[in-house]
Amino acid sequence: MSIAIDIRNVSVTLKGKEILKNINFSLEEGKFLGIVGPNGGGKTTLMKIILGLIPPTSGSVAVFGSPPEALLHGNGIFGYLPQHQNIDPNFPSTALGIVLMGRFRKAGFLRWPGKRDREIALECMSMMGIEGVRDMQYSQLSGGQQQRVSIARTLAGEPKILILDEPSTGIDVVGQEDFYHLLKGLQRKMHLTILMVSHDIGTVTTYVDEISCLNINLYYHGNPLGALTDKVTTSLYGKNFDLLMHTDVCDKCERLRP
Amino acid sequence: MMPEVFGSPFMQKAFLAGILVSILTGLISVFIVLRKMSFIGAGISHAAFGGIAIGFFTGMNPLVTAILYSILVAIGIESTGRKGKISEDASIGIFYSVSMALGIALLSLSKSYNVDLFGYLFGNILAISRTDILLTVITFVVVSGFILMFLKELFLSTYNEELAKVDGVPVVLLNTFFLIALAVSIVISIRIVGIILVSALLVIPGATARLFAKGLISMLVLSCLTGVASVIFGLLISYQYDIAPGACIVLVSALIFFFSVAAKKKR
Repeated sequence: MSIAIDIRNVSVTLKGKEILKNINFSLEEGKFLGIVGPNGGGKTTLMKIILGLIPPTSGSVAVFGSPPEALLHGNGIFGYLPQHQNIDPNFPSTALGIVLMGRFRKAGFLRWPGKRDREIALECMSMMGIEGVRDMQYSQLSGGQQQRVSIARTLAGEPKILILDEPSTGIDVVGQEDFYHLLKGLQRKMHLTILMVSHDIGTVTTYVDEISCLNINLYYHGNPLGALTDKVTTSLYGKNFDLLMHTDVCDKCERLRP
Repeated sequence: MMPEVFGSPFMQKAFLAGILVSILTGLISVFIVLRKMSFIGAGISHAAFGGIAIGFFTGMNPLVTAILYSILVAIGIESTGRKGKISEDASIGIFYSVSMALGIALLSLSKSYNVDLFGYLFGNILAISRTDILLTVITFVVVSGFILMFLKELFLSTYNEELAKVDGVPVVLLNTFFLIALAVSIVISIRIVGIILVSALLVIPGATARLFAKGLISMLVLSCLTGVASVIFGLLISYQYDIAPGACIVLVSALIFFFSVAAKKKR
């Protein structure tokens, strides 16, 4: 297994404020990593550093051995899902139109996606279970459907690494479980390395291979079960914190039971 | 009435310039509406007044000085907004009021106060010169060429800027070019509808198109059609009833918009 992401002594200071402090970890190819922590804990900043959108103040990042800024200009190995609230819910496009945007880079300058791109886009839509809404307006879809359309768009670019920023917002709790199952399936089927930012430590631990607990410092990195100690959760969320564990027992069945 | 309208050379020039400008602003309007940039548009058009006054003061072609000045203001607004010390709306407010003050000061200093001030404020499509036509054609070719060439990249960065960056689009450069295109198009449109009314051409066609568009391409087409229809009917009404052409164009576009909203509600 090769190392997909390698982070060495990364610190970020913005306007005299410490955002990230001496972060070290690496992630093997094909693994599913959850980055959890409170708002303002530096999750999004770390993600942007890995994507090459901002440089670290000190330290280094390597993605498959290259600095991430260099990868921006290449063929593209990242599939990036921005936070749901940063996408205009009324963007004028059909669902298929959104997914086809994921093929723009592969189509190249001055060229529009062709027949083959369309086939790939539809394949990605069927993987996400949304081929039925392909010709519907994006604005008419539910939050969960919009999120699936967005993931289909990132998949259409044939990425090696999927980076998802709070992908479960806008999806109801029951839908969230299905959604994480779907991601888990994608990881196996397409040998994707997945990096998912979430504030929800309870749900995430059930699905990821590794977890990073981030609150300026990296308090924990490794097996998800090891993250659920009092010491780690207190450094992330403080003392008054209730942990809601999600297990393999189906929520829906439990609720329907008389 | 019809043959007479199209027979007179000044009306021919008015139609030619008007249609070119409405296609141009129709294209730009889509991005103004989707990126919520209408206040920047209004700010740049008012700031252009300062640039026009510089032209009168120095004896250079006022359209040329206005284009250069507006580009500087557009980049100024954008870069102060990006640095984040002053909010973008405050920065627009400062730039445009100061530019208008500069314009008024320079015009009072200019000996020739008999300039067509009213024409710049409210448009004077019927007094368009050969140079104006030439500048309009050049702007039309360059700006619409830019937009069509980078359509995919503009779509992607309108959808989400960071996503576009990750997908290899040089977003900062693209945004700068877009602002330059916006500034130049605004100045060219000032000859048609004037400083005060140019915002209408930047917002109404895109807002109308958005009501019905199924996708971005159809939004671009509908937006241009709204603009072109407004110019043609606006000019005809202006000629027939002897009303200021800029105002007619804007009022027609507003009518199209309100009827579209009503039609959309009915469905």
